[in-house]
Amino acid sequence: MQQTLSTTALIKTTVIALIIAALALVSIILPAEYNIDPTGIGAKLELTALAAPVNNNPKKVESEQSSDSVEVIVPAGRGVEFKFSMQKFQKMTYEWKTDGESLYFDLHGEPEGDTTGYFESYAIATLNEMKGSFTAPFSGAHGWYWKNKSSNPVAVQLKVNGEYAVIGLKK
Amino acid sequence: MGLLMTRSKYHLLFSVFFLSIAALIPFELMAHGVDESTRNFLLNNTGVQFIAFMYIGAKHMVTGYDHLLFLVGVIFFLYKSRDILLYVSMFTLGHSVTLLLGVLWDLQVNAYLVDAIIGLSVVYKGFDNLGGFKRILGFTPNPRAAVLIFGLFHGFGLATKLQEFQLPQDGLFINLIAFNLGVELGQFSALIFILLIFSFWRKHPTFNLFSTTANTLLMSAGFMLIGFQLTGYFVI
Repeated sequence: MQQTLSTTALIKTTVIALIIAALALVSIILPAEYNIDPTGIGAKLELTALAAPVNNNPKKVESEQSSDSVEVIVPAGRGVEFKFSMQKFQKMTYEWKTDGESLYFDLHGEPEGDTTGYFESYAIATLNEMKGSFTAPFSGAHGWYWKNKSSNPVAVQLKVNGEYAVIGLKK
Repeated sequence: MGLLMTRSKYHLLFSVFFLSIAALIPFELMAHGVDESTRNFLLNNTGVQFIAFMYIGAKHMVTGYDHLLFLVGVIFFLYKSRDILLYVSMFTLGHSVTLLLGVLWDLQVNAYLVDAIIGLSVVYKGFDNLGGFKRILGFTPNPRAAVLIFGLFHGFGLATKLQEFQLPQDGLFINLIAFNLGVELGQFSALIFILLIFSFWRKHPTFNLFSTTANTLLMSAGFMLIGFQLTGYFVI
């Protein structure tokens, strides 16, 4: 077993540990993870680019009204996602229905550039049709997750209208 | 003595460099949860998927540096196989209980706070290895109980990773068992490597010279985890 360190040595090692951690956090980890860069070192090392939100979103559709009608097939026993890229406060009205079978669904949004798997649900239910509208609370990918618990594929007719860009099926 | 100081300073510098590099790689890889393809699988999965969940569990453990750092701290001064088995079993018991109950009862705990406590467990073990508690309190708090209790928090950490996905109730229990089994399998394989390295290192004279530095760095890594997760808690 290791000998017990003296009190001075203990304080010293703890302080060293804290200093190393603080330096690494402030100059490397926080800039790369959260784009928090108090020293500017993160930017010099080009680490803040890791945390900056992806900027290749289709900006051209901003505040332009689009309208689409798509058919999404949900295979038997599977779930699929259909998403739209929307900026903060953009609106969408929607209407969808299946060929009769009810599907579990989760209408939700994922923030742009997020890697944590975070999402916010706007509606969760099991229905065979739904009409409504929503305003994107943040920029990102918004749309439906449908799950087919039956043993036959189910087609969903989805009509949308509003400010968005189609991302489409996520596999 | 003077020579010893310069040597340990050299070691410190060297290991700081090494650790920083090592720490950078997985941070991007597994920063907080699961990667994109696993995520898609979990979102779209239905029913029992035994092997797949086992694989996700094993992968999570092998790439989960927070769990591994804690394990390194725990086995650092364990020499007997019996002790290693005992302590690792306590850890396993702890994290299995909260992983299973956390998901099954849908206990909602904040992932950032739990991960910060996991960081604290790394600091605790590093400090303990330096004889810190013996010095300050005059005794070492029961190390088995500590491993068990921190194991409970590690389990909550594992549970929050799965809870991000509203996993379907259909086949949930079996999938969970598979995930848990995978975690133990991953832990076992990671432990083999850790123990191999330690058994060589302990025979080498640098072990005694280095153990203080290594545990200091362990504490430091724990502090980094705490800072990283607490910032996430307050910012996001």
